[in-house]
Amino acid sequence: MTPMPTSAIEAEEILSDPSASDWLKGALRGALERDPVDGLNDALLLAATLEARLRAVLDLT
Amino acid sequence: MANSDESGPSTPRRGFDPKRSGQLLIGRLKEHGPANYQFRAKEDASYYVKLLTSRGERVLWGKDIQRAIQDGETKPKVGDLVGARRVRREAVTVTHRQRDGEGRVVSQEERHAHRTRWVVEKVTFFAERARLARRLRDEQADIREAVRAAPELKSTFLSVRAAEEFAAKRIADPLDRERFLELVKGAMAGSIRKGEPLPSARLKDGVKRTEPAQPRRPAPKRDDPTR
Repeated sequence: MTPMPTSAIEAEEILSDPSASDWLKGALRGALERDPVDGLNDALLLAATLEARLRAVLDLT
Repeated sequence: MANSDESGPSTPRRGFDPKRSGQLLIGRLKEHGPANYQFRAKEDASYYVKLLTSRGERVLWGKDIQRAIQDGETKPKVGDLVGARRVRREAVTVTHRQRDGEGRVVSQEERHAHRTRWVVEKVTFFAERARLARRLRDEQADIREAVRAAPELKSTFLSVRAAEEFAAKRIADPLDRERFLELVKGAMAGSIRKGEPLPSARLKDGVKRTEPAQPRRPAPKRDDPTR
């Protein structure tokens, strides 16, 4: 049997993880249907934007 | 994957970079543990923490990271959103021993090196420290009120009061006095914000303590075994 790529295993783990949020699962399902380059590119932009928001809200420097 | 580390002067590639010092790296704590530096068998024993950041995975190296995680205030666990920051570099003396094939020490020398002090805490810790630092800067006008609102800052406020008394006695020019106090407060606020330990309040020598007296143990005799 061909081993699954690590990324696919991790996606399945997240989708079946009861402690993972519905928001994350929904975003992941949507991203998995997209072009992987575009999906990751957008995800990195999203992560950077959310980090900037966290730093601003919590006044972290 | 990006790596970072710092260590003694004998290894300049791990040198302390003042530009990176003080930066707060935020990420999800993936794993941490002891390992040889860079996971290479020939390198020295070290400690690593792996964070998933918005720019991908980062691995930070430093022997002090173990203490920072285990003895930190928030004791972060795998899965927590944490902040990691180098706060300062300390001089340490390392005893370097050479052993023969049977494990006997054949030579020993003391070497001076530097160890970076880390703070690794849940991210909310840094938010709280930012709040305390603001309070120190903003609320000097009414220290009593400020201490009531943030009792953990009591010792810090006492230090500021001591600095004010020093300045009143020793610095004649009011502008210089003001500048000096701004520097003191700025340094204290910066240290609090970075996450360094808050100073603990201490009683002066000679001040009578109110705690119940502990039963005194007789002083050990010189020949007593050390336990």
